[in-house]
Amino acid sequence: MARADSLAKLAWAYGLHVARRRISRPRSQLAELFETYRPDGIRALGPAERERHPRLATCINCGLCALAAGRLGKTRLPDLATSYMRLYARLSDASSDLEGDDPDFAAATSVCPVGLPLDEVAAAVRRISLR
Amino acid sequence: MVGGGVTGAGVARDLSLRGLSVLLLDKGDWGAGTTGSSSWMIHGGPRYLEFDWDTTRLSCLDAGHIVTIARNLVYRVVFIIPVLPHDRNNIERMETAMEVYDRFQPLKHAHPHRRLTAAEALQAEPGLTPDLIGAVTMEEWGVDPHRLVFANVQDAVAHGARALNHTRVTELIRDGGKVIGVRYHADGAISEARARVVVNATGPWSPKVGAMAGVAVQLRPAKGIHLVYPHRISNFSISAESIDGRDLLMVAHAGFTLLGTTDDDFYGDLDSVDVLEDEVEYLLQGFERVFPTIRNYRPVRTTTGVRPTLFKWRRYEDELSRRYEVIDHSRQGADGFITIAGGKLSMYRLMAEETSDAVCRKLGHQAPCTTATSPLPGNESDAEPAVELAARCGIPALAVLRLQSRHGSNAEKVLDEAGTSRILCRCEPITEAELVHASRHEHVRTLADAFRRVGIAAGPCAGAACIIRSAEVIGRELGWSATQKFDAARDFVRGSWLGRAPVLNHAGWAQEELAQGVMRGLTRNDGTR
Repeated sequence: MARADSLAKLAWAYGLHVARRRISRPRSQLAELFETYRPDGIRALGPAERERHPRLATCINCGLCALAAGRLGKTRLPDLATSYMRLYARLSDASSDLEGDDPDFAAATSVCPVGLPLDEVAAAVRRISLR
Repeated sequence: MVGGGVTGAGVARDLSLRGLSVLLLDKGDWGAGTTGSSSWMIHGGPRYLEFDWDTTRLSCLDAGHIVTIARNLVYRVVFIIPVLPHDRNNIERMETAMEVYDRFQPLKHAHPHRRLTAAEALQAEPGLTPDLIGAVTMEEWGVDPHRLVFANVQDAVAHGARALNHTRVTELIRDGGKVIGVRYHADGAISEARARVVVNATGPWSPKVGAMAGVAVQLRPAKGIHLVYPHRISNFSISAESIDGRDLLMVAHAGFTLLGTTDDDFYGDLDSVDVLEDEVEYLLQGFERVFPTIRNYRPVRTTTGVRPTLFKWRRYEDELSRRYEVIDHSRQGADGFITIAGGKLSMYRLMAEETSDAVCRKLGHQAPCTTATSPLPGNESDAEPAVELAARCGIPALAVLRLQSRHGSNAEKVLDEAGTSRILCRCEPITEAELVHASRHEHVRTLADAFRRVGIAAGPCAGAACIIRSAEVIGRELGWSATQKFDAARDFVRGSWLGRAPVLNHAGWAQEELAQGVMRGLTRNDGTR
C-alpha cells in the first residue's frame, strides 16, 4: 500500500514538473550552486587543474624532496603533496601555513621517484588556499 | 548492551542519559564492524521515495538531529547526479525526484537541488564525461562514523556507563524463561554481569547472539565494499549507474574519496569478509562511464562490511528495505532480551531511542529521551579559530583543523595531554599528543583502534611513515615490551594488506615497495618475521 501510494504521489509530482517546465523559461542555476557552497570550499579545481590532478596526487610520502630542498614557508614539501593537496575544502582556514618563500622546486622534483611536479602542486595548493 | 557499533553505542548513551546503569560490550573495537565500513554519510534516503515517503521523512528528521548534536563531525557532501543517454531515469524524472526530496531537505538543514545543463555540469565538475545530457545536484551530510560511535561511547561513560571493547560475550545467562545477564571474556578471564535487560545490537551478528538466548533472529545479510582513494578526487560527489542499473556513489569526503558500493547476499564468515577483484572492477566500470579518469587515480585500500538487512524472500538485494525492527523476545521464551535489527547509520539515533524506550517499558522506568538535543562531547561550545590555537600550540593550522574535526571544542585539552607538538602522521596530519590522549582515554588497545580513533595510516602512504612510531607511542602508554610493540605493528601491517591487495595498481605498487622497505621485517606473510 505504501509503495502504491508513493508511486502515485511521484507520478503526480512528475506531471506537475513537466507542466511547469513547459510554461516557464529555464534559467541557469550554476551561479547559485557555487554561491551556496562557497563557504564549504567545495568548488576547488578548475578544468586545467582537473586535467593535471591525477599527476598531482601521486605522492608516496618517501620524504626525499624534504632532503633535497627546503620548506614552503613553514611547510615541508612532502606534507604539501600529501596532506595539503588532499584537504581542499579546509585550506582557506590554513593558508597561514603556506606563507613564506619558495624552496628549490627543481631540485625537489628531480629526486622524486614518482616524478611529482612539486612547483605545480605548490601553485595549486596556494591558489585553493586563497579562495 | 551487546554490540558497540553506532546503534549499540547510541542505546548505551540514551539509557545512561535516562539515568540507567549500563554495561556496553563489544568483541572488537567500537564501530569496527558494519558502522565503520559504511559510506560515511548521514543521508536522508531519496531512494525510499519510491517505497515509503515516511521512511524518507523520518530519516531526514533524524539526520537533522545528528547534524545538530555532532557539528564537528559532519560536513556537507554535495552530489552531482549526471544523466547520460540511455540511463534508467531521464533528466525530468530525476529532477522530479529531487523536487520531492527538497520538501524533506530542511529537516536535515540541507539546501534544495539545482538543475544544470551539460555545459554547466562540466564547469562545476570538469572530470565528468562530455557525453552527459544534464545533471541535478543533491545535498547530504558526511560524517566520520568511527568518531560518531566513540562520541556516543564517551558520552555514555560520562553519564555513568561502563564500556569495554575487545570483550567477547561468550554466553547469555538464563534463568528459566528469562535472560538475566552475560558472561564475557576479557583480558584472559571470564567475568559475569547481571542485568534486568540485555540488548542485542550486534548488527549482522544478531542471529548468533540471539541463538545464545535460544531465539531466532532472521536477517538477510548483504555484503558491500568501497574503494578508498587517499585524495579528494572530484569537487563534488558523483553518482553513477552500474552495469546492472544500481546506483553507485563516489563520495568526496574531507581528504579522501569513497567509491561504492556493492550489495550482495552474504553467506560466509562474518569475521573474515574478503574483497574480490571482480567487485573492484564492477565499481570501476560503473564510474568510468561518468568519470573517465577514475583509473588514473591510486586507491590505497578497500573497506568491506555486511549490512544487517531485515529478512525478505524473493527481492533483489538492492530493493531490500533499510528499515529496522525492535524485537522483544519475551514471547519466544527469552524475557529480558531485546534485539535491534536492520536500519542504517543515518537513523541510528532514532533506532537507539526506540530501543531505549522498549528497555524502559520493561523496567517501568519513566524518563524521556534527550539524545536529539544533548550535544555530543566537543559540541558544547564553538571551537576556537584554528589559526589562533595553532599559533599557541606551535603546530600547523591544518593539523588543528583535523584535530577539531574529531574533538570539536575539546581540541586544546587533547593537545595539552602530552608535552609535545610533534606531528606523528604527516599525511593526515595527526599530532603525537592526540595519539597519547587516545591511548589514555579513548580505549585504544591496538594500532587498528588508533586508525579508527585518530586516523593514523589513513593517508596516501598507508602507514609507511607513521606506523612504527605509533606503536612506540601507544606501547609507551600501555606498557608494552619491545616485542609487543613489534607484534602490534606487524599485526596492523598484515591486517591492512588484506584490504589493500585487491586495488594495487602501478602507482600502488611503487608505494607498496617503499612501505615494504621502510617496514622491513613486518611485511612477510609466511608466518615468520
